[in-house]
Amino acid sequence: MSIAAPPATALCEMRGISHEFVQPNGKPLRVLEEINLAILPEEIVALLGPSGCGKSTVLRILAGLIAPTSGEVLYHDETLHGLNPGIAIVFQSFALFPWMTVTENVRMALRAAGKPLTPNPSPLRGEGSFSQEVVRRAAHAIRLVGLSGFEDAYPRELSGGMKQRVGMARALSVDPEILLLDEPFSQVDALTAESLRAEVIDIWSSGERNPSSILMVSHDIKEVAFMADRIVILSANPGRLQIIVANPLPRPRDYRSPDFLRLVDQLHDLITGHALPDVAAPAPTMGPAPLEALPEAFPSQIVGLLEYLDARGGKEDIFRIAADTHCEFGRMLQTAEAAELLDFVDTPKRLVVLEPEGSRFIKALPGERTDIWRERILRLGIFQMIRDMLQRQPDHALDRDFVLETLVMHLPMENYEKLFRIITGWARFGNLFDYDERRQMLSLVEN
Amino acid sequence: MLQIPWGKATALLGEGRRLRWIDLLLIVGVVGVILGVIDLGREWSGELRPIDIDLDNPWILPQFTFFSLTRGLIAYCLSLAFTLVYGYWTAKDARAERVLVPLLDILQSIPVLSFLPGLVLVFVALFPTTNTGLELAAILMIFTGQAWNMTFSFYHSLRSVPQDLREVGQIYRLNVWQRLRWLELPFATMGLVWNSMMSMAGGWFFLMINEAFRLGERDFRLPGVGSYMSVAVERGRVDAMLWAIFAMVLMIVGLDQLLWRPVVVWAQIFRVEEGGLQTAASSWFLDWLRGSRLLRLAKRWLRRLRGLKKLRVGILHPVSAKPVERHRFQWGQSVSLAAFILLLAALVFGAWQLFHLLEHVTLAEWLDTAGAASITLSRVLLSTALGTLWALPTGLAIGLSPRLSNLLQPVVQVLASFPAPMLFPLIITFMNFSGIPLGWGSILLMLLGTQWYILFNVVAGAMAVPADLKEAANSYRLSRWQRFRKLYVPAVFPFLVTGWVTAAGGAWNASIVSEFVTFHGEVQTAWGLGSQISLALTEAPPNFPLLAASTLVMCVVVVVFNRTVWRYCYHLAEKRFSLNK
Repeated sequence: MSIAAPPATALCEMRGISHEFVQPNGKPLRVLEEINLAILPEEIVALLGPSGCGKSTVLRILAGLIAPTSGEVLYHDETLHGLNPGIAIVFQSFALFPWMTVTENVRMALRAAGKPLTPNPSPLRGEGSFSQEVVRRAAHAIRLVGLSGFEDAYPRELSGGMKQRVGMARALSVDPEILLLDEPFSQVDALTAESLRAEVIDIWSSGERNPSSILMVSHDIKEVAFMADRIVILSANPGRLQIIVANPLPRPRDYRSPDFLRLVDQLHDLITGHALPDVAAPAPTMGPAPLEALPEAFPSQIVGLLEYLDARGGKEDIFRIAADTHCEFGRMLQTAEAAELLDFVDTPKRLVVLEPEGSRFIKALPGERTDIWRERILRLGIFQMIRDMLQRQPDHALDRDFVLETLVMHLPMENYEKLFRIITGWARFGNLFDYDERRQMLSLVEN
Repeated sequence: MLQIPWGKATALLGEGRRLRWIDLLLIVGVVGVILGVIDLGREWSGELRPIDIDLDNPWILPQFTFFSLTRGLIAYCLSLAFTLVYGYWTAKDARAERVLVPLLDILQSIPVLSFLPGLVLVFVALFPTTNTGLELAAILMIFTGQAWNMTFSFYHSLRSVPQDLREVGQIYRLNVWQRLRWLELPFATMGLVWNSMMSMAGGWFFLMINEAFRLGERDFRLPGVGSYMSVAVERGRVDAMLWAIFAMVLMIVGLDQLLWRPVVVWAQIFRVEEGGLQTAASSWFLDWLRGSRLLRLAKRWLRRLRGLKKLRVGILHPVSAKPVERHRFQWGQSVSLAAFILLLAALVFGAWQLFHLLEHVTLAEWLDTAGAASITLSRVLLSTALGTLWALPTGLAIGLSPRLSNLLQPVVQVLASFPAPMLFPLIITFMNFSGIPLGWGSILLMLLGTQWYILFNVVAGAMAVPADLKEAANSYRLSRWQRFRKLYVPAVFPFLVTGWVTAAGGAWNASIVSEFVTFHGEVQTAWGLGSQISLALTEAPPNFPLLAASTLVMCVVVVVFNRTVWRYCYHLAEKRFSLNK
C-alpha cells in the first residue's frame, strides 16, 4: 500500500479500511471503502456525513467491536486485534442498564475493568483498596458531568440529557485515551444538547491527561464546526472519505462570528458539491434508458419540497430548507436529488430551483398530479424495465423475489430490499404498479 | 448486584428499637417452616409402603398441603436451575443450539404422564426402602410440567438483549460472569418471572396423579393434597373432595399473595421499556416485610459478612486482568463441546432404545394409534374453539373495562392455576346424570383446564388496545358488532394466538386424564390417543411399547401442528395484526 506515513505520534490509525455487510441473499453490500484516518493526540475529530454513510461503522471498527473486511487499525502503532484498549463510547441511545442506578451504572464499568486503576497501586493493599478506588472514581466522574444528587436515581427517572450525562460519566470513569461519541446529542432536546456540547469541550480541555482526543460522529454541521479541530466529510454508498477540513478557529467559539459562518458555508459547499454535482444531465436518448439507483425519499417528501419552493418564490438554499423543516441535511439532499432526477427542480450549487415541470406539477389537480408523476417516473430506466417485465406476464404480475433478483442483477452495489421499497412507494404514488404485501406480488395497474 | 452504599442501611437505624408485630409473625413463620422441614425429612426417610389416607380427618390436610407445596417448590427450583443452564448453553453455543432448540420443542410436546413410569421405576429401584425415591419421582414429574416454557423464555431473552447494551458489555469488558449477572439475567428477569408463575400453575395440573398412581398392579401413594383428593374421588366422598379443593385454593392464593406478588413487584426495576409506571404493581406482603426490623438487621449482617469475605479473597488473590479471561473462555468451550458430545450420545442411545421398544408394536396397533391421534386432535381443536367462543367476548369485556380488569384479573390468574383435574369429578357426575358420553364430555374436561389461557391472554390484549383506536371507533360511531369485528378481534389477535398455542398444548396433555376417568372406582374411557396412553400405563404389566408408540405419535402431531398451523398464525399476527410498528 502506498500511503504517506502519518506522524508517528498518532494515537490510533485506520489504514485502508473497507467493510462489507452480507445481505439476506448472501451478496455483500459495501458500506465503507478505503478509509484512511489517524487520530492525533489532543484533538477533536468529527465524522460528518448523511445518515447511511457508515459513520457509526467507522466508529465501531475503531473501537474493535467490528472487524473490518479489509484493512487494519493501529493503536499506538500496533495492529489491533479485538477491542481497542484505549477507548470508551458514548452511545446515541444512551445504552444504560435500566436496572442499575446512576452510580451502579458507572461503577459497573470500573469494576469490569478489573485491573488496578491507578498507575502505581500500593502493593500491600488488595481488593479492599480496589473497591474504594471504584467508589472514589465513580463519584468523581459523576461530579464531573454534573450529576451530583442523582446518584441513586434509576435511568428511567431521568430526562434524555441527564441520561446522556450518565453515559458520559460511565465513559470518562474508565479514563479512556480516546472518547468516541456516536451522535451523542441527537436524541436530546436542542437546548440540553447545547449545554452538553460546551461541557464536553470543558472536560476535554480541562488539562487532565485523558481523554486526550475525541472522535465524534454527527450529522449536524454547526455542531461539528463548533466542536471539532478536524472535520472528516464522508460520502455515502459506499462510505468514502471525501475530504478532511481543518478547523483552526480559536476556542471558545462563537456561532455568529464571521469566521465560524464562513466555515459552515464552506462545509455546505463541500457537501453539496459532492452530493449534488453540477454536471449537465445526459441528453435524453432513444432506446433503453440507463438504470439508476433511486435516492431514498418518499413521494410525499418530494411533493413537500416542491410546495415549499413554490411558496417561497421558487428557490432556496438547501441547508436553509433543511433547517426550516427540521430535516436532517442528508435526507434533504436525497429528497432534492430525487426531485432533480424527476426534472422537478434543478440544483445549481447550494440552491434548489423549481423547474417548469415542477411548477406544473404543483399547480395540477390531484388526479393530474398522479398522471404527471407516472409520466415522470416512466422516464427512468428502472421503472421502464419493471413495467416491461410486468407487461410480458399474462396476468401482468410478478413475484417480489423475481423482481428483487432482477434488481440485484442490474444494480449489484445497491441495498436491493430498500430499493424495492422505494420503487413500490414511487410507483404506487403514480398509480403505476400495485404491490400486494400479503401475496408478495407486484402487479401493473390497468389504466 | 453491586453493593449499595453503607449510608442507606445505617440511616434506617433511627427508626426506633422495638420489634414490631410483623416481626413476631415473621418469627412464628420461620419456626413453622423449620418444623415443617423436620416433618418433611421424616416423611422422606420414612419406610416405603402404601399409606392409608383417612378421609374422615380433614385436619391432616394442612400437613398434606405443605408436603405438596414443598414438592412444587423443589420442582420449581430444579426447573429454574435447568432453565439457567440449558437456556444459557443454547444461547451461547451455536453448534449445540441446533440440537437443543428442537429437543426442547420435543420435550415440551411429550405428555407429562409418559415420563411417569420410567421415572418411578428408576427412582424406586434406587431407594428401595425409603420414600425418597418416590418423592424424587413425584418432584421430577412436577418438574416436567414446569421447566420447558421457562427455558424457552430465558433462551429467547438471552438472544434478544439489545444491540447497544450488548456493545456496552463488550466495550467495558464485562467478563462472562459479570455479563450474566449485570446484563443478561436482569434483562431476562421479567420474562422469567411471568413464565415462572405460569409454570408453577402448570406444575399442579397432574398433582392428583403424581402423588397417587398405579403402575400395573403396584400402588404408589404419597401424602399430599393430590393423593387425598384422588382417594376421595375413588371412594366418591364429596365432602372430602370439597375439603381438598378448599385446601388447594388456599395454597394457590397463598402462593400468589406471599410469593408471586412480591416477586412481581420486586421485578419492576428490571423493566426495560421506558416511561413511567403504568400499572404500579403493589404487594401488601412486601410492604409488610419492608416494615420488619428483624429483616433489616439480617440484611445488614449479611452485607457485613459479604464485605469481610471480599476483603479476604482480595488479599489472597491479587486481581490480574485479562489473560485469565481467555484461558477461562477456552475452558468453557471445551466443557460445552464435551457436554454436547455426551448429549448426542445420550440421544443416539435413547433413539436406539426407542427403536427396540417400537419393534414390538404391530401394524394394526400403529393404525389404531393414528386413528386415535386424529380423533384426539379434533377434540383438542374443538375444545380450543369452544374456549375461544366464550373467552374472547368475556376477555374483551374484562380487559376493556379498567374496573372489571382490576377486579377480575387476579381472580382469573388464580383460577388458571387451579389444577382442573380436581374439578373433573364434579363435571363427570353431571355428565353421567345428563347422559353425555365421555367422547364428547372429554372435550368439556379439556376445556376446563385450558380455557383460562385463552381468557387471560385476551384480557391482556384488550388492555393493550391503544386509546386512539378506541376513540376513532367511537367517533365514527361503529356499532358494537363492527367494533368487535373490525377493531377488537384484530387488535387482540396476536394475544389470542399465544392463548391458542398454550391452550392446545395443555389440551393435549389433558387428553390423558380426560379420555380416561375413574369415578367411584369405575373406569370410563373414550377412544383417543390420551386414553390409549392411560390404558398402556394401567395394564398389568404396563404396555411399554404401546406407551412409547402413542407418545411418539403425540409428539409428532404436536410438533408438526406447532410448526405449521400455529407458526402460520404467529406469522399472520406479526405481519398483519401487530400494533407496534
